[in-house]
Amino acid sequence: MWYDNFREQVINLQSKTERDQLEEFLKKQNLSLDRDIEYTVALFDGDKLAAAGSFSGRVLKCIAVDEEYKNMGLSSKIVTHLVNEAYSRGRTHLFIYTKPENKAIFSELGFYSIAEVPAKVVLMENRPDGIKKYLEEIARDNGDKKDSAAVIVNCNPFTLGHRYLIEYAASRCQRLHVFVLWEDKSSFPAEIRYRLVKEGIQHLTNVVLHKGKDYIISDATFPSYFIKEYQELVETHARLDLEIFTRHIAPSLDINRRFVGEEPYCKVTSAYNAIMQEILPIQGIDVQVVPRMVNDGHPISASRVRELIREGKLNEVKELVPETTYKFLLSPEAESIKKHIQSNSQRH
Amino acid sequence: MKIHDVGIAGTLESSDIIIHIEKNEGKGIEIELKSTVENQFGNQIRKVIKETLQELGVTDAIVRANDKGALDCTIRARVLTAVNRSAHSNNLPWEVK
Repeated sequence: MWYDNFREQVINLQSKTERDQLEEFLKKQNLSLDRDIEYTVALFDGDKLAAAGSFSGRVLKCIAVDEEYKNMGLSSKIVTHLVNEAYSRGRTHLFIYTKPENKAIFSELGFYSIAEVPAKVVLMENRPDGIKKYLEEIARDNGDKKDSAAVIVNCNPFTLGHRYLIEYAASRCQRLHVFVLWEDKSSFPAEIRYRLVKEGIQHLTNVVLHKGKDYIISDATFPSYFIKEYQELVETHARLDLEIFTRHIAPSLDINRRFVGEEPYCKVTSAYNAIMQEILPIQGIDVQVVPRMVNDGHPISASRVRELIREGKLNEVKELVPETTYKFLLSPEAESIKKHIQSNSQRH
Repeated sequence: MKIHDVGIAGTLESSDIIIHIEKNEGKGIEIELKSTVENQFGNQIRKVIKETLQELGVTDAIVRANDKGALDCTIRARVLTAVNRSAHSNNLPWEVK
């Protein structure tokens, strides 16, 4: 079989020669090699790169086949290899980012469409019922229909600003759904961020707390969010994330409003907010931007809190966070997180 | 045999089938099949998967299969391997000496 003519090779991303060849190849296909790629496999015909595919975390991406080698089943060979490798690393719930015109190819390979931004990108997953199961999970205890709103927060860590936003929103609707982002790319791990929010909002009886998991600003729906550098992609990713929100999440919880904190610092988040204000109202979901709570002339933000932790000024943090978060920061459990923040200077 | 973990076996190439298996405690066997020959052989493929699982003593599992026209013997082999991987057992009598 002609398969025998192809040599399968895992690309060494540290090697400049191999990386350059891969980037050159992707460029011809109008793709670029994302910065967060951790694994790439390629098929060679002699020395010529015929097809390649990569993944980062649980997202398969940058998959391309050279014009000359189309319709020979090379993409299935690449995807099989990637899926097996991801499985062997314990990742079984996989996503794929691709152009809408490739939807049919990946659907053949066992991926199911979640959401699409026309002419730009489609997000697919390798389970027919992945998002459905998540929706069932979050709607399980929803009870009767009420006037509901949503707030989506990272809370890295939970501050008085977050509490203010949640209190403000909760006082203006019958039921408020709060989603905590689940991607572990923040200084504070997801479980801890979730716990601190939970402890900090116990006095609110109409708030339902959810784990954001895979479908709300995760690495899968919004990869560029975690890169924190503005690029054109941000807009496409934001549209995709909001498409999932309006099409799947909001209807299953009867959400008709979304509250969002004003974003004075981060360009990615403010772009996301701007697109939200453009898209959601068309779908019948109101967006309300809540001004930030101010302390001593500065808006309270989690990045300010991390900045103070970095400088070792824990007593100043006290003014910006609820009692529960402050207690946590003093606990032995927080030692390693504080150390990590101090040794690191990224935004997240 | 009991399914502990997620197991996968097979490829997406023509005449093969990819079997993904995971636990489904106490809820029986569920098969989600996608096949290029669903109309002609869908039920036969499900039957072979189910029988192979029963022979192995698997009573509860979620099976996701993506078939590209595999023969029955291929289906059996892929199911067997996926189950063994997910059950972490490595005692198959591969060859006769």
